[in-house]
Amino acid sequence: MNAVQAIATPAATPPTRATIWRRLLADRAAAVAALLLSVLIVAAILAPLIAPYDPYAINLGKAIRTPDGENWLGTDATGRDIFSRVLYGMRLTLLMGVMSVLVGGLLGAAIGVLAAFYKRIDGVVMRVIDMLLAFPAILIGLAAAAIFGPGLGAVIFALIFATVPDVARIARGAAVGVASQEFLEAGRAIGLSDRVLLWRYLALNCASTIFVFLTLRFGQVILIGSALGFLGLGAQPPTAELGMMAADGRGLLFLAPHIVTIPCVFIFLIVLAANVVGDALRDVLDPRLVA
Amino acid sequence: MATYVLQRLLISIPVLLGVLLIGFLLLQVVPSDPVELLAGPEATQEVRDSIRKDLGLDRPLYVQFGSYLVRVLQGDLGRSLISNRSVAEELWLAIPPTVELTFMAMLWAIPGGLALGTWAAIRRGQWVDRLVMALSVTGISVPVFFLGLMLIRYVGFEWQALPFVGRPGPLYTWEGLVGIILPAITLGGVLVGPIARMTRTTTLEVLRADYVRTARAKGVREGRVVLAHVLRTALIPIVTLIGLQAAFLLGGAVVTETLFAWPGLGQLAVGAILSRDFPLAQGAIMILALAFILINLSVDVLYTRLDPRVRRR
Repeated sequence: MNAVQAIATPAATPPTRATIWRRLLADRAAAVAALLLSVLIVAAILAPLIAPYDPYAINLGKAIRTPDGENWLGTDATGRDIFSRVLYGMRLTLLMGVMSVLVGGLLGAAIGVLAAFYKRIDGVVMRVIDMLLAFPAILIGLAAAAIFGPGLGAVIFALIFATVPDVARIARGAAVGVASQEFLEAGRAIGLSDRVLLWRYLALNCASTIFVFLTLRFGQVILIGSALGFLGLGAQPPTAELGMMAADGRGLLFLAPHIVTIPCVFIFLIVLAANVVGDALRDVLDPRLVA
Repeated sequence: MATYVLQRLLISIPVLLGVLLIGFLLLQVVPSDPVELLAGPEATQEVRDSIRKDLGLDRPLYVQFGSYLVRVLQGDLGRSLISNRSVAEELWLAIPPTVELTFMAMLWAIPGGLALGTWAAIRRGQWVDRLVMALSVTGISVPVFFLGLMLIRYVGFEWQALPFVGRPGPLYTWEGLVGIILPAITLGGVLVGPIARMTRTTTLEVLRADYVRTARAKGVREGRVVLAHVLRTALIPIVTLIGLQAAFLLGGAVVTETLFAWPGLGQLAVGAILSRDFPLAQGAIMILALAFILINLSVDVLYTRLDPRVRRR
């Protein structure tokens, strides 16, 4: 391989930002999903401004109404406006997902990249990670709820705890690949500090892989979190959280199915949109990653 | 092969210790002090101290953990705070329903996912492929409880087609068989999507392989090419995936059992946690973790059987 080729080949030329956007938008399903997800997120953020009613205001005179002009999504067993509760519920559900993906992702990525960079700690760290991988999120959730008592905190803790080892493994895999390339050696040869090598050379080059993984993970995390909420191990009543709201309406499944169905549909939409966007991102940024 | 299995078993030991440590910690958070319970309100400090000593509670935590390990290994997991039955007994009763449920779920979901994925791969780009892919991303995104609730509402309640409360009997009875249909559909629903997807991806790769072209060139019938040449190779990553799905399966089982009042381990665990029955919660969580480790272990072993490359290593 001559010098020109060597420069030309770093085969996976990272697509420029413009191409990424163009390709993402060309995927119609992904574009729709991205739009839907943004709308849901904005609606959740703006909940206090949009919500027509107080999500906690009980009004027994208006209990169990089906959707109409006054209450767009109807009311629940105690007459609380479901539309307002869904808006507030999405805040907690999304927060749960964002927190665990963000915190778990950062911790996991740091562990994985460090393990790939410092060969001395690699063996030990990855054995520990392998061990942690043996605990699925739902079990960690059960254990956390048992130890700390049911609550949103326990759920978020469990989701973070379950995200770290997965991300660490992916990050290490990506970082080992990057570390074997010559530019890292070159950087070391011109006397760059470990910190620069770690961050600018290694971490940033793994970022897209980790980002894609986390996008795909986001949906799963929300599914597990809302399942824990549904089981009564997450946010406690009267707090509005989508999984808990579904459980709340379970008793009225046959009489007033909309109370259960509406929060479920919103969870489904959030997860579906996140998964479709994640798939599209993976196809564009990192086709090798199979989730 | 034997060394590999042995190695895998050795790796599981620290994991098991971790599980036991969680179980031990769970017992430490019990809000009531057992000494107070036994001694009663009138007891003198001396009596309390001697009870504390009898129970071994005066010793450092790691010594207590040691004796906890010994007890657990002897099958003594304590007593439920609520039913006062031994935890081991309660767990023992809850294992068959969970095994039945997960078995029946996998029984339809694995072949179903394999068939759908292979079908989609063969018809790549056609409407079958798009439909299967759309279905599987839906399957991956739908909350288990949503699927279960809708089945209960329509199939169970409105059409009165199938029972949806509890476990009417063991699997080998007619009632048991009918009663497991809805829970098994619900639980299997979370598995079909990922399996179909993975099958499609790997099948597509294998379909391009040279030996598949050779087989076709030899005039092997298309059905045989797909089954004997393609699917067999594609199975290897799929087995791994099914191992990874064990986590989904477990989470799904916990929710499904709660939803259908299915008297299995998941329902037991959730009920124990909600009622602050720590010894029972400890036992149930430990058994679930153990089951998960065992599944992963057997998947690893199966993997070496299926893939000659790993076997030789």
